[in-house]
Amino acid sequence: MNTPTWDEFAELALKRIARSGAEYADIRIQDSSTEHIEGEDRRIASIRDLHDQGFGVRVLYHGAWGFAASSILSLEEVPRVADLAVEIAKGSASVALEKVRLAPEPVHRDRVVTPYRLDPFSVPLEKKTDLLLNTMEVLQRQSGIARSSASLWARRDRKLFVSTEGTHLEFDLLAGQGDCTATALHEGRFASRSFNTPHLRKGFELIEEADLHREASRVADQAIEKVKAPAVDTGQYDLVLDPEHLSLTIHESCGHPSELDRALGYEANYAGTSFLTTEKRGNFRYGSRHVNLVADNTEPETLAATGYDDDGVACQRWDIIRHGIFVGYCTNREVAPKIGESRSCGSNRADGWGNVPIVRIANIGLEPGEATRDQLIADVKRGIYIEGHGSYSIDQRRYNFQFGGDAFWLIENGRRTHMLREVIYHGITPEFWNSCDGVADRSFRRRYGFITCGKGQPGQSGWMTHAAAPARFRQVQVIRGEEGS
Amino acid sequence: MTVLSDKWPKMTSSDEFRFLSELVMTRSSADHTIVSLRDHHAGTTRFANNQVIQNVDARRGTLAVTVAFGGQQGTASTTDFTAGAIQDTLARAERIARMSPADPEYLPPPDPCLFPIRETAKPETMAAGPVKRLEYANEAIGHCRMENIMAAGIVSSAATAVGVAAGNGLFGYERRADARFSLTAQAGEATGWSAATHRSIDHLKIQERTLAAIAKSKRGRDAHELPAEHYPVILEPAAVAGLWAWLMRSLDAKSYMKGTSPFAGKLGQAIVDERLTLRNVPDHADLLGEGFTNEGLPSTDSVWIDHGILKQLAYDRFTAKAAGVETIPTLEAPTLSVEGSSVHSIQELIKSTERGILVTNFWYIRPVNPRDLMLTGMTRDGTFLVEKGEVVSAVKNFRFHESPLRAFQRLSAWTAPMEAVNSETGKMLVPAMVLPHVHFSSGTRF
Repeated sequence: MNTPTWDEFAELALKRIARSGAEYADIRIQDSSTEHIEGEDRRIASIRDLHDQGFGVRVLYHGAWGFAASSILSLEEVPRVADLAVEIAKGSASVALEKVRLAPEPVHRDRVVTPYRLDPFSVPLEKKTDLLLNTMEVLQRQSGIARSSASLWARRDRKLFVSTEGTHLEFDLLAGQGDCTATALHEGRFASRSFNTPHLRKGFELIEEADLHREASRVADQAIEKVKAPAVDTGQYDLVLDPEHLSLTIHESCGHPSELDRALGYEANYAGTSFLTTEKRGNFRYGSRHVNLVADNTEPETLAATGYDDDGVACQRWDIIRHGIFVGYCTNREVAPKIGESRSCGSNRADGWGNVPIVRIANIGLEPGEATRDQLIADVKRGIYIEGHGSYSIDQRRYNFQFGGDAFWLIENGRRTHMLREVIYHGITPEFWNSCDGVADRSFRRRYGFITCGKGQPGQSGWMTHAAAPARFRQVQVIRGEEGS
Repeated sequence: MTVLSDKWPKMTSSDEFRFLSELVMTRSSADHTIVSLRDHHAGTTRFANNQVIQNVDARRGTLAVTVAFGGQQGTASTTDFTAGAIQDTLARAERIARMSPADPEYLPPPDPCLFPIRETAKPETMAAGPVKRLEYANEAIGHCRMENIMAAGIVSSAATAVGVAAGNGLFGYERRADARFSLTAQAGEATGWSAATHRSIDHLKIQERTLAAIAKSKRGRDAHELPAEHYPVILEPAAVAGLWAWLMRSLDAKSYMKGTSPFAGKLGQAIVDERLTLRNVPDHADLLGEGFTNEGLPSTDSVWIDHGILKQLAYDRFTAKAAGVETIPTLEAPTLSVEGSSVHSIQELIKSTERGILVTNFWYIRPVNPRDLMLTGMTRDGTFLVEKGEVVSAVKNFRFHESPLRAFQRLSAWTAPMEAVNSETGKMLVPAMVLPHVHFSSGTRF
């Protein structure tokens, strides 16, 4: 007997659920391949080729959810899991106070494929390991570099989404990334400097265009300069933040608080809630007039631009912060109606077949301004220019944050001078964004992706991209990140 | 309703894993072949705003094959346990290995040994399913509703079959089960929290922990703002566990050897208060001890910090061999204890404190400086001012900027070790304790 097709499995599950009296159900069948090559200290430490296939069934019964999933895609297991999802939903319904009502969405039938020039899974392995070994060689050629690492990551997701409403979506999605890090030792201290390509939905051309060798040479030089640099003096500084650094600041201080499920208390026990409570929408001054944060799940190559989310809702573009005022949330079909929205903005995603989709941060980016980066720096008397990611921490309502970075330069009298180390800045989210008085123009805009955004119980990893041009923030509190500070 | 039992889909048994691994071994052309199994079946009932918002059950079986030709190695995995898929997985691993450069740190699989047999799969947890989880969730929600408190939390249970086998005869198979409960009780702006993780779902103490979270949330109303500065602190076990989890994560031996560890040069030296001892106690009934590691090494009872002195590092096999370490210690069941006379309860710690901050838990702890293990993080779900032996008010949450290597240099008072877990750490046994100085660097608005 031939193995049934994914469509046949989907039909088997959904027909069975329809007979149970459930008002809605969907099934996601997914086959993911991940290739991860990791280099450490001039050696290839591991090469892993991981295949992960399975399906998840979500059922809404009398206004309550049930979800079941399995890695066994068979004629015995699909009905069992479908029945289990119904039984679980019935259990949830037996104690439900408020029934889930889904925001309407047109029926979609589509196929979404990531365009690429070079399939990363077809690039010869030797070419990839040679690239990493040579990159680490460049990193450790510099005297003073004690450790090096370099890695390549690629992922392909083939997915089928079918709902009882008639939506039928096929996906063949690709994503990749590469990076390298040098760690320098000096007088008992050590410091690291990294280069990361963004995580993007592109083929291996992403890696080729990045030129890891050239970046490795710069990274090694800067690691040595960083470890020998003076530690920062505690005080108030103007900060000019580069796009990679800002991507994390945006993620933590704007992305998470704009998730409506958090604002409604769904994450109160783990990731937390949000200071952007629903009554603030449309009237709360989150930032200065220079601050326009836009969610755009339609921008090609970005991680959340998957055509449709895991509710089967088409990807969209909308404002989160407009001229400094908080105006929009990331939503799904369940929570959008709770604030009077007639449609979900399409930000419901699961990290695979085995987890239920939850509201995730969209591709939220800082809209460019009109200055050049040099103009932003020129108007700083005493400040710090920060690149890349370092330490990060924020409270569960997203008010009090603290960030480090990967590299820091002192700005004096409008000029970027020498590197600093141990720079940590902290503040309160709306005060910080209200201190923004300039954003560089579109030519400086860069995109950085995240694939390890933790949320949900059981925990899931969310994927999204944050774009920004360099931006300037006035009089931010900086402390020294070492003992004795 | 379906339970986690031997009904379909039953978990991969020892015999089945042996059959699957032998299928791989007999077809492998590599010098060394290792097969790893993780067959995980878990469910969670999640609630918020006093009702169930998510109710899930998932089963994922994964088989991973690692092969090596000389020092050339490759790993491939699959969730499809059919013979064809397993053969394809072996072929993928062999293809990778043949094309990969030799790894100078590669070592053959460990020699076969008898792994300790531990009670890792409590039947009551293995059998728990959606009905039990919903019953426990309802119990917590019910208590909160009666007190006009909003409940958010989870009840989860999981059963996992874990195996490791190699061509040299190495074979380990173990069933592991665990159950988890955590609850955030919300009294308006104030929150209280409690959590438990245990091998036995019957040991979650839902009522006791729910009432504790409710009491915290009620006591947390009308929080005052205090200046961020150095304070004596009373750390509840979850807060202690949060800081020690980062200390334990930083014990990597390779970083130590390369000079990029906060402990560089400190092996055999005092790193914390001389009364503190950190052990791995895998046979302790309240901890999540295991029989063996993913690499196929036995889990061991071991001393990591002995009366404040650093005794052990976390070795990979290559670094252990280079350092002449024959038995690699594990740290999956940590117990932190303090020598000397302890008090009986957190309440007694409060009574003995003239002025200080009581911290229920920390959140979002992250390293600031890996050289001196400077950490930052926020207090969460119950932060209080203690004066003259009593909790006098709730206070708004603080951010700390502190190294555990400094904070734990001197303890003022402590309890016996208690169960501790939080959303960012594994299960531990640690005391609640009073530290004379912790640096809070800023505050937040709630």
